[in-house]
Order: sequence, then C-alpha cells, then structure tokens
Amino acid sequence: MSRIDAPLRVPFTLLFGSAALWLTLASVFSLLAKVQLLPSGLGACEWFAHGRLEAAARNAFVYGWAGNALFALNLWLLSQLGRFEIRNGWMAAIGGLFWNLALTWCTVSVIVHGPGAYALLDFPAGAGPVLAVSFALAGLWPVVAYAKRPTGHNFAAQWFVVGASVAFLLAFVLAQVTVVWAPASGVVQAVAHSWYVRSVELLWLGGSALGFGYYFVSKVLARPLHAYYLASVAFWTYFLFAGWTAPAALIGSPVPLWVQSAGVVGCVMMLVPVLLIGLNLLGALSKEGGWSRAWNSTSLRFISLGLTSILASIVLAAWSSDRAVNAALRFTSFSEGQGVLLLYAGVTMCVFGASYAALPRVSGGRWPSAAAIHTHFWASLLGAVGTVVSAFAQVGGRSPDWAFVAAGSSALLLLGHLAFASNAFATLIGGGESPQSHPAHD
Amino acid sequence: MKNFRYLVLGALVATALPFTGLVVGSQAQLGSLGRAPAEEGGPLMPPLEPGQAVQGREVYLSLGCVSCHTQQVRPAGQGRDIAAGLGGRPSVARDYVLQPVVLLGDRRIGPDLANYGSRAKSESDVLAALRKPVHAPGLRFDADGKPDARVTALAAYLRSLRQDYSSPEAPLK
Repeated sequence: MSRIDAPLRVPFTLLFGSAALWLTLASVFSLLAKVQLLPSGLGACEWFAHGRLEAAARNAFVYGWAGNALFALNLWLLSQLGRFEIRNGWMAAIGGLFWNLALTWCTVSVIVHGPGAYALLDFPAGAGPVLAVSFALAGLWPVVAYAKRPTGHNFAAQWFVVGASVAFLLAFVLAQVTVVWAPASGVVQAVAHSWYVRSVELLWLGGSALGFGYYFVSKVLARPLHAYYLASVAFWTYFLFAGWTAPAALIGSPVPLWVQSAGVVGCVMMLVPVLLIGLNLLGALSKEGGWSRAWNSTSLRFISLGLTSILASIVLAAWSSDRAVNAALRFTSFSEGQGVLLLYAGVTMCVFGASYAALPRVSGGRWPSAAAIHTHFWASLLGAVGTVVSAFAQVGGRSPDWAFVAAGSSALLLLGHLAFASNAFATLIGGGESPQSHPAHD
Repeated sequence: MKNFRYLVLGALVATALPFTGLVVGSQAQLGSLGRAPAEEGGPLMPPLEPGQAVQGREVYLSLGCVSCHTQQVRPAGQGRDIAAGLGGRPSVARDYVLQPVVLLGDRRIGPDLANYGSRAKSESDVLAALRKPVHAPGLRFDADGKPDARVTALAAYLRSLRQDYSSPEAPLK
C-alpha cells in the first residue's frame, strides 16, 4: 500500500462500507416499491405505501449510496492525481458518520411518517443543517486535495470532481433555504426544486462520474485522450449549462413561459459539452481497439458503459425538451427511464468501475470472487436494461405485464448489488485471498 | 486552469447563475401574486381552503400521494389535458398562491387531481374511491364502513381541489 493510500484506509473503509450498505437497502426499497405497483400489492400496512417506499429508495440511493461512495472515491482519486497525503482523515470519518446518522433518521422518518412534497428534499427540516455540515466535513476533501497538491498536476478529472463537490454544497444550502426553511411563494418552489434536482443529478453525480471517466479511460488505455485540448471547454460548458436544463421538467406547468424556454435552451446547449466529452472519451475508446480493451478491464467495462449512458441520457433530455415531444411524454414513465439511464446506467456504473480499481489499492486486499464480479456486472446490466425498457414501454400507458418486468429487473439489481456489497466488504477488510482471474484494473 | 481559486469560484458561479436567473427571477415576477377577482367586483380567487382540507393535505403528503398524482392542467397547445376533461382551463400560478406546499407532481400513475373536487359528485364518491387505494394502504374504515378522522380529512382535501373558476390570467370559457 502506498503512502498516499495508507492514511485513506480508515475514512475510505467507513464511507465505502456505508455506501455498500445503503445500496443494498435502496435496492430492497426499490423492489418493494415496484412490487407495490403490481396488481397484488403488498398489503395494508401504511409503511408500504408506494410513495413512501419510492422516496426512501431514492434518498438511500442518492445520498446513501452515491453520496458515501463519492466521498470515498473522489477523495481517493484526487489524492492519487495530486499525490496528496491526507493528514486529518478523521474529519472525513466524522463527517461520514454524521451524514449516515442523519440519513438513517431521514429514512426512518420517510417510512414511518411519510415523505415531503419534493423529491430529494423530503426529509425532516432539522436534518438539512446536519447533512450540510457533514458534507462539508466529508465531501470537500477533494477540494483540499486539489488545493494542497504538491505536484501541481492539473487534469480534467480534477476539475470535474472539484466542481462537483463545491456545486453540491451550494445547491443543497440554497435549496434548503428556498424550499424547506423559508419556502419561496407558490410555484416558485417547484422552480427551485427542479433546479436542485438537476444540480444534484448533473453537477454532483454526473460531474463526479465524468471525472472518473476522464481518469480511467486515459489510465487503462495508457494513452492521452482524443482532442484533450478541448477538455477545458467541455468542463466549463458542462457546468455553465447544466443548471439551466432544470425547467425543462416544468414545460406546460403553471410557471412563467420564459422559465420553461430557458430550460429548453439549456437542454439544447448541453449538446455542446456532450459532443466535446464524447470526442474526448468515446473518441479515445474508439481508437486502436479501445472498446475491446475496455471490455477486458472490469473498471473500464463499467465506466465505458456508464459514460455512454450519461451522454445518451443528456441527448434524450434535449430531444424530449422539444415542446411537441414533451407534450406527449410529460407525466409518463419516460422521465423514470431517463432518470435510470442517467443515475443508474450512467453514474452508478462509473462508480462501480472506479470502486473496482480503488478498493484493492486502499485496502491492500484483492477482490476475492471473480464469480461475484461477473454476477454483479450481468445482473446490473440486465437489471438496468429491464428497468429502462419497461419504463419506456409504458409511455403510452401502464401495463401489468411491464410492471412485472420492472419488478423482475429490480430483483436482478438487488442480486447484483448483494454480490457487489459482499465482495466489497471482503475486499475492504482484506479478506480476499485468492487471486482474481479477472483483473479489475490493469 | 492551474489557479485553484478560479476553478472553485467558476464552479460556484456556474452553479449559482441558473439559481439567480430562474429562482430569484421567478420570485421577483410571482412573489407578490395574491388572490384576485376574475373581473371587477367579483369574488377573490382562489377560494380559501376549509380547515379540514388543510389537515387533509398533511395526510395526502404523508402517504406520498404526490408520487403518483399531479395537480396541474396544461394549456391546450401543450398536451391533451383539457381535451381529456382534466379541467376547463389551464392551471396558472395564481391557483397555488394559498398553498404552503405546492404539490404539482410530475407523474401520472394515477389521475390528475387539479379538478378532482369538481369531478367528484359527492363525499360518498370520494370515500368510495379511498376505500380501494391500490397503491396507498393505511387508510382505515371501521366495521360499519365509517371512515376515521384521517380519511375524512383527506376526503375534504380532495373535494377542495378545484380550478373551475375564472382567473385573470385564464378565464373560464
């Protein structure tokens, strides 16, 4: 274990271990929510109301799984790139501990008392300040690692991760003020909420995942990215336009028309960074057998799949922001499919890929089970495809048959996540003895 | 981009710009919106909510109903809401000025409820609908079929949902 990785071990293990637990819990909630939509349902217990289960699954997935995993992986990545040795890692561990305690409180509250009106902000008002301070302690370490890096190295991956970290904290605080603590008047709440959701999805989660893409594509392929000189333009246009896409979720709603139009323009403008990022990353993968090498590296297999899904999701968002298309798709399951494409097939696949490389480095162990890695990949891939296809297939109207497909896909995802979580725990505690037949990162 | 401060400041500004434009801009435009008559001398609209409906909104929120139901009618050129009979006019921002929490919703697994109060013929219609809540268990009726206080409050809330009045921005035709 290197001197960069050694001091990361305690906070990384706490944060990533928590992430794996939350992922499993989110999968259970999600499966129950899907089963509740089947004709048979789940019975008469109020805790199993679809709205409660879905809100709990969403919070556990975004803040529990993705949040904790990004705390750990963003810190690891920026420490690697800047050769930064963390000295006060206990602060990240404390921040992670309070983040998880607050999130547990929020999840219990959602299941027992019910969610709030706004997705991703539906937890007790008192939890907001705890989460914000916890994030400052656990989630801003990549910024410190970039500021204090002794090498002066400067890579696109660092820009995306640093930008994502500061963007989330600002968005979270502003959303807490305007939606939870001192709600804006009337439908302005909906505008503020849509801006927060898009900031979380595209800036924090999407930005971090793209940071992983910029690092691992170049690292695993062992060559510079295609047209790398355009990466700074890609970064700035991505961050400048992402937040403006939010009101596209409100086309036709009783909010000012100019706000809706700004959303349409934002969605179309996002095609510029998509083109540039595609040129950088997919361009590199498309040269000299890049896709084949990606398939043979566990990390890059997940990440290349994730990058393609993120870019496809943003293109779909631009297409569906067309008013005629939106008139047909709004309020249907299309947005569910697009959300799964972005957050699961996109962001989560990138996080999986990064974790397959990072965990052995930090723990000094190995992934103990190649079979679990295969199970995880195929169950996640098939589960994601099933979820997206069932959502898109029900755009014209909900059908019990497709609801069964969606529930089956959720069960597959749970299976994959159990395989991943058990393998990750074994790796984190250094229990992996047998050499893996399938190198996670070469 | 070697300067740390430019990167952090740039990311913060890029995040805050859409908030300023969209949220602060909307608040500046709509923040002072209040009840108003559709025509001079007419009653102020939207109407005040009955107290029981205010309690019912809490039940609606606690069951997570907003995850499956919307409360908004889109204009005629933007979807078939009006043609489908979801309302006689599009929803406008003024319809929501009295609501402490705006429950527009973004999915229609169940029907839109913006005008549920004007579609439901009587309280017994609403209670009959609540007796078979496919995806929202937990509502209780006693052995004689009488609803408990939460169900009664929820029914009052649902009956209060109506946008069947003229608004200065969207007169009822």
